[in-house]
Amino acid sequence: MAEEKNDVDKLVEMLSKVFVNIKIKDIMTSPPIVVTEETKLKYVKDIMRIKKISGMPVITRNQNLSGIISIEDIIKVYDSGSFNDRAVNWMTKNPVFLNEDDTLMSFLEANEKLNYGRYPVINRNKKVVGVVTKLDILEWMFKKLGYIYVHDQRREETLNKRFTSLLTGEQYEETRIDFRYDIDYESVEMVGIAATKLKKFLLSKYIKNDVVRKVSIATYEAEANIVIHSGSKGVLYCLINNDHVKVFLEDYGKGIENLDKAMKEGFSTATEKIREKGFGAGMGLPNMKRFSDRMTLISSPNKGVKVEMLFYI
Amino acid sequence: MKIEKIAQCDFLETVFIPENFDSEILIGHTGDLLSEVMRNCQENSIWVTHQSHQNIIAVSEVTGAKAIVIAENLNFNADTVESAKDASIALFKTKLSAFECCGKLYNLLKND
Repeated sequence: MAEEKNDVDKLVEMLSKVFVNIKIKDIMTSPPIVVTEETKLKYVKDIMRIKKISGMPVITRNQNLSGIISIEDIIKVYDSGSFNDRAVNWMTKNPVFLNEDDTLMSFLEANEKLNYGRYPVINRNKKVVGVVTKLDILEWMFKKLGYIYVHDQRREETLNKRFTSLLTGEQYEETRIDFRYDIDYESVEMVGIAATKLKKFLLSKYIKNDVVRKVSIATYEAEANIVIHSGSKGVLYCLINNDHVKVFLEDYGKGIENLDKAMKEGFSTATEKIREKGFGAGMGLPNMKRFSDRMTLISSPNKGVKVEMLFYI
Repeated sequence: MKIEKIAQCDFLETVFIPENFDSEILIGHTGDLLSEVMRNCQENSIWVTHQSHQNIIAVSEVTGAKAIVIAENLNFNADTVESAKDASIALFKTKLSAFECCGKLYNLLKND
């Protein structure tokens, strides 16, 4: 991105002088949208499209910074790569990063030399905790100055969704799946088969009782959503790792039309008949968020819903 | 509290108690909205509800509720009783309203 200094740069530079002692952590977007090293590029591409961003940090399993992957890298893949390749193979390694306690000055110095679009931000423990872009800084300054700054509205919308959690994007290998269950029934009365089977399985693996309880409650809700709302079949996967249990639920149905609404307690699109049975309280997604330690949900109309939930053991 | 002691209550009629039922009932919950029950019903609960369909067994299994009472002289569906056998969940019914039943259960558990 070696371009001539444009107006945005000039403005940032000018205004920054007033705010040089401001810390990066006050400006950055946090939590950041990230992918792990082993994420396939087709998913990286989807995340960029859905989240409307042009790049993001790549992290290791321990949330340490590994690289950065951007639209430019994706364009290269179109030329000479495969979208089944992993992020780690196409990312820019050893990216320039900032510490959360760095000041705006450090950003300016980095930007002066390099002029990258975005900088990952790490904390004292070297975990990636945010991303900062020129636009973040501009936006922050304008807010500070009391101006109404209407900056790329679409981006704001997608990034500020309440549930937006650290998007791990980590892909699961078929051989690594510890538990799999196909949700292929249509009767609401049967909801919970997958969740109770998973509960028994996790208990048999000596996962602590309170963790198992959280996993099975959140899974029950996701299972109910598939049966009641998706109009399609679905599948449940579970992986047990050293320090966490991960649950994926996917369906291929009609998707969620308005995620903000769906996340709101009490909002439900369930029919009267379903509600009579005690479903459709509008607490499914909120419960999933509440009982999981991290939850990511991707959906667009008619493309189904993918939910990923992480529970620390 | 042992399930036998609960089964002795005159306002409860036993529908089904699993063999070798060894869970203690420690607390209770009432509700008909399944997601609300999911959120608030605690492990080792007795759950008072009006829902009769099979899914309440799955909800009990997931939340760790060990017994269900159906209020207002309603009846459990046949497949609900079958599922309770598989899942080792105790089932009771009562002629009382959910409110009255909860009041009595509350005092019972509180004084235990």
